[in-house]
Amino acid sequence: MKNPLPREIVPGVFWLGQCLEQHFQGKVYHAYNAAFLIIGSESSLLVETGHPGDFAEINRQVKDIVLPKESKIEHLFITHQETPHSGGLGRFLEEYSDLKTIYGDTSDYHLAFPEHLEKLRHMKIGDSINLGDRDFTVVEPVIRDMRTTLWGVDMKERVLFPGDGFAYSHYHWDGHCGKTAEEAESLDLIDVSAVFAERALFWTKYVDMNIYVDRLEEVIEEFDIKVIAPTHGLPIKNISQTLPKIRKGLVAAKA
Amino acid sequence: MDHYQNITELSDGKIFALQNIFPLDGRVSAYPSSTVGYSCSNCYLLYENDGALLLDTGYSSHEDIILQQLSSILEPNTPLSIFPLRINEFMSVGNAMAISKEFNVVQCYSHVPDMSFWLDFETTESKKAKLIPTTVLKFPSKIEIGEKNRIVDAFGAPIQLIATRWVYDETTKTLFSSDTFAQYSQKNAQGPWIIEENKKSNNYNFTKSFLLNSRYWWLEGANTLPLIKDINEIFKNFEVQTIAPGYGSIINGKKLVNEEFSTLKQILEDMDQEKTDPSYIHRDIER
Repeated sequence: MKNPLPREIVPGVFWLGQCLEQHFQGKVYHAYNAAFLIIGSESSLLVETGHPGDFAEINRQVKDIVLPKESKIEHLFITHQETPHSGGLGRFLEEYSDLKTIYGDTSDYHLAFPEHLEKLRHMKIGDSINLGDRDFTVVEPVIRDMRTTLWGVDMKERVLFPGDGFAYSHYHWDGHCGKTAEEAESLDLIDVSAVFAERALFWTKYVDMNIYVDRLEEVIEEFDIKVIAPTHGLPIKNISQTLPKIRKGLVAAKA
Repeated sequence: MDHYQNITELSDGKIFALQNIFPLDGRVSAYPSSTVGYSCSNCYLLYENDGALLLDTGYSSHEDIILQQLSSILEPNTPLSIFPLRINEFMSVGNAMAISKEFNVVQCYSHVPDMSFWLDFETTESKKAKLIPTTVLKFPSKIEIGEKNRIVDAFGAPIQLIATRWVYDETTKTLFSSDTFAQYSQKNAQGPWIIEENKKSNNYNFTKSFLLNSRYWWLEGANTLPLIKDINEIFKNFEVQTIAPGYGSIINGKKLVNEEFSTLKQILEDMDQEKTDPSYIHRDIER
């Protein structure tokens, strides 16, 4: 089946990547290690780099997207240091000569990519990157996979990029690849959220996740989030419909 | 700074710890952001004359030195297996491709197929990767080193943040604990990078602070009893005389090992939801 990505999920924000098979209890699920391209009037920003093995595909997708002449890809924001999020860092810097700055909590990259030390820009919650007609603002990471995790928001279209937050797989066999969470009607979000937590978010099995989802709802309200663009899950465009299912899935995952 | 590095030989040449030192200045995710001083990344070569197993491959900033360290131990044709204890972590996978290009890497152990896909950080149209054969394991599992019945146990870490494996080597009674028991950073780059029996290492508050401010912020008020049960199981099943963590000083000696386990278990008991109220922990809180 042809890869349905890239897909423009809101004006100027493209969803990039390809599915990765996950085997669990006799079933083959699909999940993403996605990247996103945010196009501003003066410069563009790549969020995440994808898994090391996704580089060729994401690179092809980025090159197929027609950017405004004055909006080159100058910025890369990475939510955290795990390789499915940051493994393409070195190759993107080599491939895109206009890409000048790596943003985020830049811990460890001086050890992993020492040749790009001068391009690292360490950020804190509240810091912003200006792309001309839109800003990308760093916000509190509520569900995190490392102590260094940061989340970001495209303030123009109110898109939250939560990295490993909202991590869930989808059903290739039911045609969910490339769809939003709401378009994937047969997707049992409670189940796939619990399965992903079981496999990849170890700590959530031991914690009362209601506490974290409560805080997540406060962040969504504070920043008036309209769309959620997770790295591993399908994009969420109807938060009030989908978030309660995610909550149930996270709470259901138990040791 | 000068690059401090060291090969620490353990158990009469059965294990070589490739220790490469880096400064702690808030830029290393494995440590609390306020920790200053030095730590080291530890890659362990479990060695037999007819085969070797490398646990973790180190940061790419240490690539040249790690290749030199391996060259000083291995013959070019020694069959070498690689086992990254955390496949999503740069310290575990950073030099796998470089090592496979220089040495006789016969396989990479993993729970997923096609590890080349996970280990390649440099391939472009002009730069080609080397295919590394993958041996898929379902954990817990046994791994053979060489052909003389040296077998180690590989299993899921009983406490972890990202997907992590531990390894126990019965021959040397060494537990390779990845990012757990990694709290012993040092003030000086010279170490000591192994803590021996006659030195007091253990401190409840120090260890608790390390855990809560690095990978385990979520322990406060969590259901920690299953974690304690799994940790107890490991120490019941395996006689551990040395703890070999992925970062920081190696802990050597039965008395020290027992103290470390007791301290970890005590902290987990005190953090349990029965004793500590659960609460949301903000990213930037240090306690």
